[in-house]
Formats: sequence, C-alpha cells, structure tokens
Amino acid sequence: MFLTDAPLIERRQVARDIWVLGFAAPDIAASVKGGQFVNIGLRGGPLLRRPFSVYRAADDRVEVVLKAVGAGTAQMLAMREGDVASCLGPLGRAFDLPRSAKTVALISGGLGVAPMPLAARDARAAGIHVTWVHGARTGDELCSETDGDEVILATDDGSAGIPGTVVAAAPDADLVLACGPNRMLAAVAQRWPHAQVAVETYMGCGTGVCLGCAVPLTRGGYDRACTEGPVYVAGDIDWRALPSHLSYAVSA
Amino acid sequence: MSVEVGGLTLRGPVLAASGTFGYGTEVPLLERRALAGMVSKGIFLKARAGTAPPRIAETPSGMLNAIGLQGPGVEALVRDYAPLWAAWDFPVLVNINGESASEYGELAARLDGVPGVAGFEINISCPNVEQGGMYFGNDPRAAAAVTEAVRRRTKLPVWVKLTPMVSDIGVIARAVEAAGADALSAVNTFVGMSMDLNAYQPRLSFRTGGLSGPAIRPLAVHLAHQAARAVDIPVVGVGGITRADDALEFLVAGCRAVQVGTATFVNPNAIADVHDGIAEFMARKGFASLDDLPRYLPRD
Repeated sequence: MFLTDAPLIERRQVARDIWVLGFAAPDIAASVKGGQFVNIGLRGGPLLRRPFSVYRAADDRVEVVLKAVGAGTAQMLAMREGDVASCLGPLGRAFDLPRSAKTVALISGGLGVAPMPLAARDARAAGIHVTWVHGARTGDELCSETDGDEVILATDDGSAGIPGTVVAAAPDADLVLACGPNRMLAAVAQRWPHAQVAVETYMGCGTGVCLGCAVPLTRGGYDRACTEGPVYVAGDIDWRALPSHLSYAVSA
Repeated sequence: MSVEVGGLTLRGPVLAASGTFGYGTEVPLLERRALAGMVSKGIFLKARAGTAPPRIAETPSGMLNAIGLQGPGVEALVRDYAPLWAAWDFPVLVNINGESASEYGELAARLDGVPGVAGFEINISCPNVEQGGMYFGNDPRAAAAVTEAVRRRTKLPVWVKLTPMVSDIGVIARAVEAAGADALSAVNTFVGMSMDLNAYQPRLSFRTGGLSGPAIRPLAVHLAHQAARAVDIPVVGVGGITRADDALEFLVAGCRAVQVGTATFVNPNAIADVHDGIAEFMARKGFASLDDLPRYLPRD
C-alpha cells in the first residue's frame, strides 16, 4: 500500500459526462490488480477520500473513471494537468482469475466499467478469452474504450447494442466478473451465484479501520468492502440489505 | 515530550482515539514512533454485528457514523489482540461498553491483569437498558455508578470518555472524578442527522449518527476546557484534531494530552504529523517540556 501525491497527467472523455483521469503514481501502477481501488483525496476538497476502482495502470500511471455526481468528483474534474491528488492504494481484494477458466465475461453497467480494463488485462495475461458485456441507459453513455476484445453492448433505451439489460445480454462463461449499480449486481447474483462482483458502498477510510463500508452477508453479519471486498462472490452478499440508492455511483 | 496522564506515563501527547484505530493492527503507513498510546475500538462482553448500511455520511468538514459498536466481544479481544499489544512499545487502553453498570464491571474484571491491557476508557455514551435506555453519560449518578463499577474491579488506570450531549459537562466530570476516574477524555461525538433528498429519509440506516471531524473542533475545545476547569484529574482532548495547531488548542485550553480520530481515516499518518508539529511548536517557542506550555485555566 502506498500513499503518494500524484499529479494529474491525463484527461479524456470516454462517454457523455464520463471522464478518465490519469495520475502519475508509479508504485501503485506497478502493483495494482483488476478490481482493486485507490482512495483519492484533494486538498481543500471534501474531508473524506473518495474510492475509485483503478481503470488502467501502465507506464507509472494510474487511471480512474468518473462522473461529476457530487462536490468531490466535480472538484476532481476541475483539476488541471499538474494539479496534485493524494492517492492511497492499491486497496482491497482483486478479482480472482483461476487458470482453469478458458472464458470470462466482464459485465458492467455505466461507471461499473471502471475495473474492467484492468480485469481484461489480467485475464488476457492468464490466457483467458475475454468478452466485454457493457451496458448503459443510452448509447452515448456507453464507454468507448474496450481494448480490442470481443464486445457485446446493451442499452435500456435500445439506442445502441441489444435493447435491455446487460445481464440479459450476457453469454455464459467459465468466469463472470461484474460491476455496476447494486441492483444490477443483484440480478447477476440470481443468474450466476458464483460470479465475482465489485460492489459499491460508501467508504470512510478505505483501509479497514472505520467499518463504514459494511457489506451484509448471506451467512449473517457484515464485513468490509474496502478490505474483504470490494470483490465478492455474488451469492455471498445479502442483496436485500445492501443499499441500492447511493447518491454517488463511483464503483469501488 | 513525555506526559503523565491518569496513571500512565506516555512518550508523547498524541493518542489514537477509540473507533478510529481498530485494535491497532489495521492502520497502515503510520510512523508509530509518534504514537503515545491507543484506545481500542469499543468492546462489549459479547460480539456485536453492528448496524445495517449505510453507516456513514459525509457532512461539511465532518462525518456522521453509526457503526453500532461492531466487534468480536471480549474473549476474542483477549485471544487475538491483547497478546500483540503486550509486545508493543506504547500502552493500549480498552474502550469498554455495556448495557448496565454491572456489565461494565464484568468487562473490567475480565480484562484486568490481561497482559497488553494497560488501562480502560469507559464509553458512557451507551444507553442504560435497565433505566429505560437513558444514556449513562447524561446522568451524573449513572455515570458515577458505571465508573465505580469499573473502579472496584481494577487497579489499572480508568479514563472516562464524556459525551458532549449534556447541558453541563462539569457536573458529569465532577461526578466521575469523585467515583474514581483517573482521567477524562473529552469529548465523544455529537449526535447528528442528515437527510437523503432523493430517498426522503435519513442518510444513515440508524437515522442518527455521531458527528466527528473538524466540524466539531471548536465545540470540543470548549467542552474539554469546561471539563478541565471542573476537575483536578487530567483531561485528554479529542474532537476534530487534524493538525498540530488543533491539538495545541486543546492543550492550551487545559488538556494534558490529545486523541486524534477521524483525521486518521483521511491521512493514515495524521498522528505522526500532529506529534511532529507539536514538537516543532515547542522548539520554536522555547518550551523544554509540555508542562511549560501555558494553560488557559482561569479558576473563577
């Protein structure tokens, strides 16, 4: 785990209202795995850091994907090249990619695309065939970056790809990894209880101390999205008890 | 920068506050040389699952939390954590909680003499189940009864963490001093509430939560000062400290030491930053020891 002041070095738009920010953070970039996250704080910003799944990591650079949904994300989007963010990471448990798997479906809704490029990288490195299944409400909200893998798109309004949900559009695969709104992940859990999902919760510290990011478990009790998660076996989460109305939609 | 506080000799003035440092194994990247001591996450006799999410909500310069004192119970603490603490070079106080005065006493008895347990911090901000759920900390007699129940079962240092949700903190402070407390921690979180304007309901599932962070600091400085003026035992200031200057405000207001809490969530090395900043202030102002720092404690 590293804590570093990371200058902004890259900024590009990948969908309507959705941006990728790249920060120079060599230690984190060299060690992060798909599904892990960074906790980002800004001087003069909100008190608490904000958790972001790492989108890409290469060449000393860590990328995150975000949308302006609150004061913190708005302030991040207003950053200029060279402005510094405090980056803590990599945090949390990554996707587990067993070598026995031959195919993986990466299912994402909206900003849930966040951990998928890194998951795709790790899967390709493990010799697993990657299929992206990515959905959004409308075509212009679909993320435009899919790394040359096989891609299935879906939109709620039918303006691009298959009309309907990503879960309905997805093929079966040896391995299913999913990230998106908790309601979507609950549907994933119904169809593939063994899928691995990266859940979204509010977070305080991101390091396992504050117990703020409680995830309700089917076996009873809670554990911490930041430490035991954010990647879970879908069937292990008590989806009825996990809030699905969070007012920011940053997956981590 | 060593200080004597409530029966303990601390190597510095900055401790980790209960609930923000786990059981001492969780916080990464902290330069522990600066840590004068820690107060454990609050513990009950029995394991507790904690409250349903959402458990936290950020507010201006602060955060609300309702974790529900999630914890493994005292036996797991004795088995899994105390042996680690016994090897550490700073003291660990266990923050103890109960639903009745006798439960606090039982906890103290179970932990007294366990290697690694250097003392107790009593959280009196718990509802007293035997008295219709009234908070121990709001009633001088109940607060004193809890303190006595613990005092009778241990010779280790007993600190009492005061709640700010009272009309006169001096009354509670004097009551627990008379009941045998060695020091006071002032103050616990303020009860607050925040509403979700999409769901038309509180942002926390528990409805209310404890407010911490810089938002409460001037309130906490005032209450710690009032407590310090009311008693002869040392007061440990806590509430919204993120930098050395914040800690120094509590010290000048009459506190002997401080606890850093929520700041650790944001900056894992906050305790060391506060410690180093105090040392730098002392050097710059020419104070050889913390006892030389002027305290503003008018007795009128």
